[in-house]
Amino acid sequence: MSAVLGVSTTTQAASCCGGGSASSLILPKFSRAMIDVSMDYEHYDGFWDNQGKISMDPQGSDLNQYRLNLGYAQRLAPRWQASVTLPYVWNKNQYANLQRDTSGIGDASLSAWYEAFDKIACVWEVKNWEDLLPAIYWGGTLTLPTGISPYDDVADNFDITGRGAYRLDASVLIDKTIYPWNASISASYGKYLERPVNREYGTYVAPYDKQLGDRVNYIAAFGYTYFTDTMESLTGTLSYAYLKEDQAEIDGVTDTTSGLRKESIAATMAWASEDRDWVAKLTWSHAPQRDGWGRNFPTTNIITAGVSHVLR
Amino acid sequence: MSYVDVRQHLRLPLLILLCLLLSACNDLLDDLNPSGSDKRGTVVAGSIGNRPGQIAADFTLKDSLGNNFVLSDHLTAGSDPADVVVLYFTMWCPVCLSHSDHMYNTVIPQFTGRGTVVYGLVDFVSGSVSATRAAELANGFAGSAFTTLADTNQGLLDQFNGAMGIVVVIDSDGTILLNEDYRNGTALTTLLDQQLP
Repeated sequence: MSAVLGVSTTTQAASCCGGGSASSLILPKFSRAMIDVSMDYEHYDGFWDNQGKISMDPQGSDLNQYRLNLGYAQRLAPRWQASVTLPYVWNKNQYANLQRDTSGIGDASLSAWYEAFDKIACVWEVKNWEDLLPAIYWGGTLTLPTGISPYDDVADNFDITGRGAYRLDASVLIDKTIYPWNASISASYGKYLERPVNREYGTYVAPYDKQLGDRVNYIAAFGYTYFTDTMESLTGTLSYAYLKEDQAEIDGVTDTTSGLRKESIAATMAWASEDRDWVAKLTWSHAPQRDGWGRNFPTTNIITAGVSHVLR
Repeated sequence: MSYVDVRQHLRLPLLILLCLLLSACNDLLDDLNPSGSDKRGTVVAGSIGNRPGQIAADFTLKDSLGNNFVLSDHLTAGSDPADVVVLYFTMWCPVCLSHSDHMYNTVIPQFTGRGTVVYGLVDFVSGSVSATRAAELANGFAGSAFTTLADTNQGLLDQFNGAMGIVVVIDSDGTILLNEDYRNGTALTTLLDQQLP
């Protein structure tokens, strides 16, 4: 269940230049649309407790989640694009004397991005100061509670595929490529909307209001691109991600048992066709199993394989 | 295939997908338009069940040391009566430990010296007494105010319609006073303050 707390890896679609190194579902400049399909495999291996110390899962446990992520991005105007992502989630949880395999739709998201630049900001060499200008995107994302939450008619926590609350994120992505090198940083701040709750794990309870804590997310990435003789490209990217969610409130009272933090590192290899219309990606995201790299959150390894197709 | 062709080809599948989403998933609509109305049904006071106001059926579980833990032993006519029995369902996850740490560090100290309370951690995932003991030791609860119970076949989980993070409070007559998510511990604290001398 804990995976639904985390960050969807419906990402790493294509950079502003095409080729697959950015950290969001971003449509390359001058492209009209993009389809993105990816599959995540997330393996749980212990967790950080509320003080940030590593604890191990119970003996005999094997906890996994698979996610099929469907994404579509559409250009709306020369500087505007929008995208939608929809995950389908499979939970496979094995404990010593208990096995639960469940599945369902995850939380969908709708995004809009504004491109604060007119020309492609990827250059082969720096000839003047304008060549140093990065591509800057300003974005907003609405996460819809389309997943199965603890507040639905579910048997127990193993059924969960979503948080059960709307969230609005404001994001910025700064991306610069001076071939063969690429660097990007992104930051987002998200606010959950308060919601009423009258049911927990299928049982009706006295109604109350719940507001999950605000969420911040930073990603820094650095990559290198190798071009073949036919101008196909292979891009390797290393990234660092920081995620923090503040404590929730229940009827206006802070829930000191909630909130989370996670730091992770990831390596991505992306292949792009000569015309950059096809991008295949493989990402390994790792949460170091060390004290202090997180709090109140599982330590996981995530492998993501995906394909993007750009429609010109 | 041109961009326009692709859009036309995608339109129907996407529409079907959207219809399936909206028609097949009542749960989806529950979260998109959440309700704050009180839909708890009425319970017959004194009936056996798992809802507040009902009587908890007696049960026996092994604790982490292999001793029998019998609910009725801790009720009024039992051999080791308590004012209140508190059961918390744990799967040794981040949320579970955060809750049980909060109970241990914040709730329990508030009521030390006020009556007798049995605090139980119900481990429904470890599958054996020895594994429950190992989890109890690994997570620092051995020798604590908690009695850790091994619900090896999830019988107690089923009895109380439990899940990760659910806390159940039973009074000395066997009446269930609380059966809900621990949340921030406020409901448990308020209840103990009302129940304990």
